[in-house]
Order: sequence, then C-alpha cells, then structure tokens
Amino acid sequence: MQAVTRQEQKVVTRDRLVNAAMALFARKGIMNTTTADVAKSVRMSHGVVFLHFPTRDDLVVAVIDEFGRRLSAEFRQAFERDLGLRAVLHAHLRVLAELEPFYARLVTEAPMLPPKVRSTLMLLHAAVSYELFVALERERKAGRARKIERPLLFNTWIGLVHHYLVNRDLFATGNSVIAEQGDALVNHFMTLVKP
Amino acid sequence: MAEKCPACGSCGMPMEKPEDYALGDVTRPYCRYCTDARGELLPFEQVLETNVGFYVESQGVTRAAAISMARAMLADMPAWRGRH
Repeated sequence: MQAVTRQEQKVVTRDRLVNAAMALFARKGIMNTTTADVAKSVRMSHGVVFLHFPTRDDLVVAVIDEFGRRLSAEFRQAFERDLGLRAVLHAHLRVLAELEPFYARLVTEAPMLPPKVRSTLMLLHAAVSYELFVALERERKAGRARKIERPLLFNTWIGLVHHYLVNRDLFATGNSVIAEQGDALVNHFMTLVKP
Repeated sequence: MAEKCPACGSCGMPMEKPEDYALGDVTRPYCRYCTDARGELLPFEQVLETNVGFYVESQGVTRAAAISMARAMLADMPAWRGRH
C-alpha cells in the first residue's frame, strides 16, 4: 500500500471538514453552527479545524467554493456540447439538488451573513448569470428567445428558484423541492423567454 | 469532492485553463484580469473596479452594494490581505 503523504492527508482532512460543515449548516443553520460543532462531529480537535479554517466564515466560503466547482463542471459540459438554455437551467438545478439542504439554508440566511460570505455567493451568482446570458443569446440568434437584459434574466430565474427553496416545506412533499418542482420551473422559464 | 483548480491570489477567480492565468503562464499566481500586459498585478483600485463592474453587470445590484461586497471579498485575498 502506498504511504499517504502529509499533503494528501491535509487534503483529506480539509475535505472531511468541508463535508461535515455542509451537513451541519444544512441541519442546524449556518449562524447556529460553530467551528467547535464541526470539530465535534468529525471527532477532531478544535485546533485542527482552526488550522484549516480560522473562522466559521472561512468554512462557509469553502463550502460555497465546493458548490462553485461542481457547478462549473456541470456548466462546462452543457456549454461544450452546446445544449442550449434548457440544459444550462437543468445543470444549475442538478447541482442545487445535490446540495439542496445546505443551499436552502444559505439563501435563507444570506442577508444576515457577513459581507465576505455574501460576496462569495454573489461571485457564484455572477457565474450563473454569465452562463444563462450566453445560452440565451445563442437561443436568441437562433430565433428561439427574445432579448432580455442580463441582470433581469438572472434575477428572474434565481428569484423563482430561491422562492421555492426558501419555502421548500410548502412546495415539496418529500426531501427535495428541486426534484419535485424543477422541471416545472424550467418549463415555465423557457416559456417566459420565448420571442 | 470535485477536482480543485487554483484560484487567483488577487480576486479568487478559479483558474481552470492556461488562458485564465496572467500571460497564459500557469506558474503565475494571478489571473489575466488582475494583471497588466507584462503580467504584473494591477493597483488595488483597478482590481476593485473590475470586481464592482462584475457584480453590477451580472446581478444589477447598486454600485454602493457592489463596492462593499467586492471590498469584503478582496480584503481576504493573499494579494491584499492586511491592506488598510
């Protein structure tokens, strides 16, 4: 068996902490979770958590970054295969569904979170906004969509999705509002952008 | 976990392809947006302005909100940490 290097061990520990934080944020809420809670849940010392993430905000940013990486991979696939706006919307929802309990907490608590965390979320939104706009423009050039300004295109989509996520207990009978309502949201949005 | 890629030490943008890096050189710590034609890091105010524009253009937030958010983001980046 190959020996695990110090660097590899560091990466494994960091990933464990990010996963544990994501689960705790989803269950207890972001503002109700401390770095000590995260340390306890993975049976590590608080010092180890501090070494990787000096503050809870650093942990939240790391979880959002993980979300961003998954999103970027999904978008790249949809973009490279030129699958159109519908595929981009589904790619976005696929990643949201994977991390739904965490993401729903994040958007619910966002206005109360520190600027550093909100700013990280806004960066993620900027990437989604870009992908939506590029996809819409392609549709528009093919005569399948009308012109919509970029901020309103993004805000209309994210407003719709976030409303369902924040009130997921009202819109879903099971654990995932995206799984239950996602197709309807995409269909509705595609109707809105028609010429 | 998904595969990680390096992020710009100035603005945090993920650098996935060589063209994302300053001068297309993957050994450089900063992205092409935060550097000049010689690959040198741009002044803070210029990097801030790029990020502000990014937020306003993508989400329609006010300029004041974008400045506040962009400052909070940059304050923690290696290139600008400890800057007052």
